[in-house]
Amino acid sequence: MFHYTIKRLLGIIPTLFIVSIFIFMFVHMIPGDPARLVAGPDASYKDVELVRQELGLDQPKVKQYFVYLGKILQGDLGTSMKTKRPVFDEIADRFMPTFWLTIWSMVWAIVFGLLIGVISATKRNKWQDYTGMFGAVSGISLPSFWLGLMLIQLFSVKLGWFPTGGIESWKSYILPSVTLGAGVAAVIARFTRSSLMDILREDYIRTGRAKGLKENVVVWNHALKNAMIPVITMTGLQFGFLLGGSIVVETVFSWPGLGRLLIDSVSFRDYPVIQAEMLLFALEFILINLIVDVLYGMMNPQIRYK
Amino acid sequence: MFKKRCLFVWLTSLLAVLLVLAGCSGSTSKEPNPSKNANPKNQSLAKKEGNSLTIAIKDNLVSMDPQDTNDTLSGSIQSTMLEGLVGFDKDMKMIPVLAESYKASKDAKEITFNLRKGIKFHDGAPFNAKAVKVNIDRVANPDNKLKRYSMFELVEKTEAIDDYTFKVTLKKPFGAMLNNFAHPAARIMSPKAIKKYGKDVATHPVGTGPFKFSEWDQSDHLTVVKNPDYWQAGLPKVDDIKFKPVPENGARVAMLQTGEADFIYPIPTEQAAQINGKNGIVVENKPSIVARYMSMNTTKKPFNDVRVRQAINYAINKEAFLKVVYRGYGSEMDSIIPEGLQFYSKQTPYPYDLEKAKKLLKEAGYENGFETKVWGANNSDAMKAMEFIQQQLSQVGIKVNVVPMESGTLSDKIWSVQNAKDAEVELYYGGWSSSTGDADWGIRPLLAGDSAPPTSYNVSYYENKKVDELIDAGLQTADQEKRKEAYAEMQEIIWKDAPWAYLMVEDTMAGKKNYLEGVYLLPDGALSASEAEIKR
Repeated sequence: MFHYTIKRLLGIIPTLFIVSIFIFMFVHMIPGDPARLVAGPDASYKDVELVRQELGLDQPKVKQYFVYLGKILQGDLGTSMKTKRPVFDEIADRFMPTFWLTIWSMVWAIVFGLLIGVISATKRNKWQDYTGMFGAVSGISLPSFWLGLMLIQLFSVKLGWFPTGGIESWKSYILPSVTLGAGVAAVIARFTRSSLMDILREDYIRTGRAKGLKENVVVWNHALKNAMIPVITMTGLQFGFLLGGSIVVETVFSWPGLGRLLIDSVSFRDYPVIQAEMLLFALEFILINLIVDVLYGMMNPQIRYK
Repeated sequence: MFKKRCLFVWLTSLLAVLLVLAGCSGSTSKEPNPSKNANPKNQSLAKKEGNSLTIAIKDNLVSMDPQDTNDTLSGSIQSTMLEGLVGFDKDMKMIPVLAESYKASKDAKEITFNLRKGIKFHDGAPFNAKAVKVNIDRVANPDNKLKRYSMFELVEKTEAIDDYTFKVTLKKPFGAMLNNFAHPAARIMSPKAIKKYGKDVATHPVGTGPFKFSEWDQSDHLTVVKNPDYWQAGLPKVDDIKFKPVPENGARVAMLQTGEADFIYPIPTEQAAQINGKNGIVVENKPSIVARYMSMNTTKKPFNDVRVRQAINYAINKEAFLKVVYRGYGSEMDSIIPEGLQFYSKQTPYPYDLEKAKKLLKEAGYENGFETKVWGANNSDAMKAMEFIQQQLSQVGIKVNVVPMESGTLSDKIWSVQNAKDAEVELYYGGWSSSTGDADWGIRPLLAGDSAPPTSYNVSYYENKKVDELIDAGLQTADQEKRKEAYAEMQEIIWKDAPWAYLMVEDTMAGKKNYLEGVYLLPDGALSASEAEIKR
């Protein structure tokens, strides 16, 4: 297990290198001239050309790539074209807000998702099941900007319980994390339900019940553990997505996170920031996949890696 | 069977509950009519604790270095801390600020400023002619690669004649130079700070204004605090102001409703009527200098025929355009530049007249119309506008295909085209705001013969010798009467030549709590918060 983890960790380096080439290519393929965007809507041709030189965009693409790669290897992610601050600072400022929002959302999502999933599976075709699955379908289908704005109207404007946005106190986390977690909770609930229903039909469950185990012990200790594999896979993926920052939720709640930074930098064609963010997302996904693989082994000892 | 019925009953009742909930939060949308609103000022003053303000804005701030700023928003925030020699009042009329008086030479090559005495920068450095010189020399030096270089590239020489007299000499006559000094780019920073921070003055603005820089959390907010030693008596009247970017329209409105923000802008026109006059909220709309028009590529068939261009002007109902696209918040364009600009002169509007439009098209040989495409931004306002134009022109047989594009793509396809012959653009829906408040910057970049992309923004590829002569004439002198004549004549010629379909001038839209005074939007969309005051 230890060797396996080390091997996977070392594998990150070549993967990121290849990813960096693709990111560079795609980012530079987006139509639009960053020099003009940076120079502004009423800049003259001369201003635009000055900006272009300043940003090094007058150099050939291949040279730009190697300059970029060389800097990354020295741990320098470059300077934002828009704000002229180091990209590392830009991202560091935004990472923690997104990280904590993700954690809060995942806590809601896992607690409620599992609970609803298990209840729906054990009370199959009863009112609990219908209510749970109705909630889950709604959670998936409600657009998060709509849900977010509705929550703001109800809990901030009408009731005055929570702030409308930004980060002021723990209260600020409630509405955005509920908005963000709703969709994930719904997916977790549906996965848990179907996976658990399959497991509950297995022979060993019948054996458990036959030897007189309480139903709660059967479901929560024996069945659920075995039903977790697809749920973990899916939860890991969702976690990765959320860590990238949700553009919609962060915009609605004026959340100073990575999602808003990404949309800002894309509309500004702020190449260094886009590239660094993409690289960070790639790294996050690789790490999460690794964690998920390790978790498999813990859930089901039959799965072992060499 | 029972189970199915059970399911049905459950789903129906849940649906009913949801609908009721949704109904509670929805609101009735009435046809808003800005002029006929019940007077929102009749509300009693909303409650306000403390003497601090929060202003919610739409976009993130970019830089606090005025010479390296090109967005109106960053410029607005700078104006609470930094001041220029001259500036604009509420109506974009020029007023002296740090200069007591100023004088431009007849040949429009020299301007002399007499400076106010006894003013200190926030860091204690004295304000004098040397300080001004350091600032202007910095922006006029191309090696500094500042975004506002081109506004000062004509500067040949700057002199501190004595402590309080500053003189600038230009390489060639430029009648609108004084306006460039009134532009946010010419605000004066402390020379001590420029020396100390270098390029980092962008995050350490030090000026003479009523507020001092406090902190800037780039991902969240920027705060300015009261300058107790401000040179104008009685100001500032609030302790501090926090500027907070809130990109979502609905969230910004909610902040005003809850009192988390005291002033927000912009307010989307769809929501303006709905919130005005409730919860102590006042919506303020005033004429801006943002013109909305559709330019036509005058080098391409059929738009190379002036009759076709005029026909299009006759075929669009501008009043309806204003109501449909901007909910009535604005006014019809009645010259090539908005009324708020210097040297504006009113023209006779093209009335909505389909018969006349058809007749002109017939004369031009397009009795059965033609097919064309309009390009524009992909935001909802621009798309609504283009679809409206599509519908209007279909009445005279012109089939318009609407092609919305993302800003980067637009810039590639329009502004970066190197050769007029390669320009694919036919119709382009866009707008312009002349940030110097002068007619020159409202006309020259858009309609001068040598302003075609990529040099500048003449996307109609309009070229008229007489107009070009007049544009030069307007800049050759600082004599206001002569300038006025030149601009009046060129407005008339261009209006008749119709390189654009003239549509409307937008309103600036802001919302505030009714206890707040002294915070307002200038016609160019810039915010002024220096005189902010809370009424109790």
